[in-house]
Amino acid sequence: MFDYYLRLALRRCRQNLPMVGLLVLTMAIGIAATMTAMTIFGALAGEPLPGISSHLYVATMDAREAVDKDNPDYKQPDSLLKFSDAKALVDAHHAMQQVAVAASLTQFARPDGKRSEKAYGLMAYGPVLQVLGVPLRHGRSWTEAEQASAAPVVVIDTEVAQKLFGTENAVGRSVTLGRRDFRVIGVSAPWNPRVRMFDVRQNQGTVMGQKEMFLVPAQAALDAGVGPLLAGECGKDAPVASFQSAAVAQCRWIETWVRLDTPATVATYDRFLAGYANTQHDAGRFVYPPQAKLVGTQAWLALNHVVPDDVHLNLLLAGGFLLLCLVNVAGLLAARFLRRQGDVAIRRALGASRRTVFVQHLVETGLLGLIGGVLALPLTWLGLWIVRMQPVSYADAAKFSPGVFGVLFALSLIVGLLVGILPAWRVCRLPPALQIKLG
Amino acid sequence: MRHIVKPLLRHRMMPLLVVLQVALACAIACNALFLLQQKLVPLLTPDGVGQPQQLVVAWNLAPRGQPWPVSTLRQTAAELRAIPGVTVVSLAGSWPMETMAQMTGTVLADGRDGKADAVIYIGDHLRSTLDLKLVAGRDFSAAEDVVVYKNIGIDDDGPTIITRALANRLFPDGHALGKVIRIGDQADAGRRTVVGVVAHLMRNKFSQDNRDDIDYSMLFPGTPSNWPVPMFGVRVRSAAEVASVLKAVKATVQRELGSNMIQGIDPAYETYGDMRQRMLAQPRAAVWLLSGVSLIVLLVALVGIMGMTSYWVQQRTRQIGIRRALGAKRSDILHHIQWENLMVMSAGILLGMVLAYAVNLWLMRHYELTRLPWQYLPLGAVLMLALGQLAVLSPALRAAKVPPVVATRSV
Repeated sequence: MFDYYLRLALRRCRQNLPMVGLLVLTMAIGIAATMTAMTIFGALAGEPLPGISSHLYVATMDAREAVDKDNPDYKQPDSLLKFSDAKALVDAHHAMQQVAVAASLTQFARPDGKRSEKAYGLMAYGPVLQVLGVPLRHGRSWTEAEQASAAPVVVIDTEVAQKLFGTENAVGRSVTLGRRDFRVIGVSAPWNPRVRMFDVRQNQGTVMGQKEMFLVPAQAALDAGVGPLLAGECGKDAPVASFQSAAVAQCRWIETWVRLDTPATVATYDRFLAGYANTQHDAGRFVYPPQAKLVGTQAWLALNHVVPDDVHLNLLLAGGFLLLCLVNVAGLLAARFLRRQGDVAIRRALGASRRTVFVQHLVETGLLGLIGGVLALPLTWLGLWIVRMQPVSYADAAKFSPGVFGVLFALSLIVGLLVGILPAWRVCRLPPALQIKLG
Repeated sequence: MRHIVKPLLRHRMMPLLVVLQVALACAIACNALFLLQQKLVPLLTPDGVGQPQQLVVAWNLAPRGQPWPVSTLRQTAAELRAIPGVTVVSLAGSWPMETMAQMTGTVLADGRDGKADAVIYIGDHLRSTLDLKLVAGRDFSAAEDVVVYKNIGIDDDGPTIITRALANRLFPDGHALGKVIRIGDQADAGRRTVVGVVAHLMRNKFSQDNRDDIDYSMLFPGTPSNWPVPMFGVRVRSAAEVASVLKAVKATVQRELGSNMIQGIDPAYETYGDMRQRMLAQPRAAVWLLSGVSLIVLLVALVGIMGMTSYWVQQRTRQIGIRRALGAKRSDILHHIQWENLMVMSAGILLGMVLAYAVNLWLMRHYELTRLPWQYLPLGAVLMLALGQLAVLSPALRAAKVPPVVATRSV
């Protein structure tokens, strides 16, 4: 029966090609607009580190040590801490896992000076690979003892290894960072959070996650003269540091991320954090009420508007547009079906039930929806290409992924059936006698 | 009127679908056009900078470790000034169309209740380098320009030049010269005396600005200390010399400061015109997108209304024939269909306005958007009504052509 309806539908489509073309095109444009917006939204709205970042929380507090009353940029307690505070929080071991990280940009060189490479990476205090789930290809992460003694060890990614040494497995080799030679103890796979998650306060306007090409114990890096890319907040009366400075003892530049798996442990840690901050405030170090708070990754990204409003607005706009297209097509389909009441009347008179008439028309609209979907595919590709050409911070998210096909197929089928329900119901409702009379 | 309304109520589906479609189109178009208007603001506002292609800017200069001492920067500025073809050089802390360094804050008219969110540009020779048009008062004096602040300079007292828009906002009576503006509401906030007013100067933070505050800018003379992101503006005498000066500026800055710049971040050397072009590319792209969306929405609505009305007319061919046979003129039929469309559209528009407003309220709560100005609603209504009449024209004309003889056929 189904394939008979399908053949019938195809035959009917051929009868009025301009009209069918219009219906299909309208659906295709609506679907393509929604798919474009959804692809971008999907790439940016999810977790920065799938399966991991939902358990990660960042410690925030007003840790200012000098009166800094009229800094209009300081609107809420932020995540930047002095290294000493971050160390204290990590060393307290109150969470399942904890790490302090800061973004760095530095030059990697082979000790023989033959090759060098600029690399972004993280300075860390704590088991950074485990906490963030950075996949290790060769070697190992650094140990507590190595961290405590500020041993010059570093983990690089395969791309840096390849560029410097011509091989992925660079474990055991030496690289020069700043003033010292570091021993490569591990090589990680290329890794980046899907969207920016570290140091978002100082990187406003950056959406896409930074590819972290190296991980280094923070103290060892500082000893070698390698500092964070941005010195953060140094306070009003402290000597000002600018970029890549290792003289950041007076500055707040590193953030502390903790892993907590249950709401109860989150609450407990929140209390511990507040206790730590209040102790510092009471001792006179933090001059403002600290308002210490643990913020989940997603909440932190939302708070800092990492994903621009435009992405959400465009999705809403596209969704509204698709809805308009649906109503439009439903109306045109109703007109189209009702014009053929004669055919339906004859089928009904020959014994077809309302249900079969209904199904027959739904098959037709479903087919139209699928044709619309096929047409929407190149249109979606075009839409994503247009977005990629735009000077927007999230242009890189507009990539055509295989998952798009599945969603597109489902969406166009749903669209096709949805627009058909009302017209199909309408056409099968009239009694056969009247339909014949009308025809 | 009754003969138009009654059939509409009897055959509800088609008119209802049109109403729904119009309401949706109206809500989307109103909000899209409103967003569009906001994105247009920076594109349509004059930035106040004269001869943008004859201004070379060196920016994104990031010192490694400590910020450069003022003496080093001044030395560089002096070298830049010596380049042939250069008329004036400014060493500044922030720059129009450059968003890495922004100095913004609430400023208050001293002793009054005037208050505004303004952008502050600090640097020497700013007015002449930017080639801003002075409409009242004077430029900074040489003595005022050589000041070196202990810090950024926002908290220090001194003279200021402000834009006309800011002057009108803070001092609505029109006498801004000689008045004092406080930078922040603290007791020890910096106090700046207005010595000059310029026609325009766009702020360098225009994400959510509206037409008014995009032109709220202040100039402070002097040089900030300990400022991590300094920049140089170099005014070129003639267009022919821009290319050579650009090259010389690059060479000079690299020679003087290059050894102490951070690795991995490249300084930018370009004309102000190019900077402006790049900064405005994003709102410009958004304008294209939103106008495209609005156009397609209206087009889809047009086609939909046309299709449904023509079916609705075709279905009533016999009734129209009867009316014609009973003495209705062609124009009566035409007007009937047009009136009908007007009523259906009005219902849709009414619903659409409520929807547009509700959507706007919801957006305001969830995103940093401002309230939809009420003027958009009648504007949208007129637009949709015109669209409806355009859509109905061809079906209505076809209906008017129905000959009376149709009435006698197959009933």
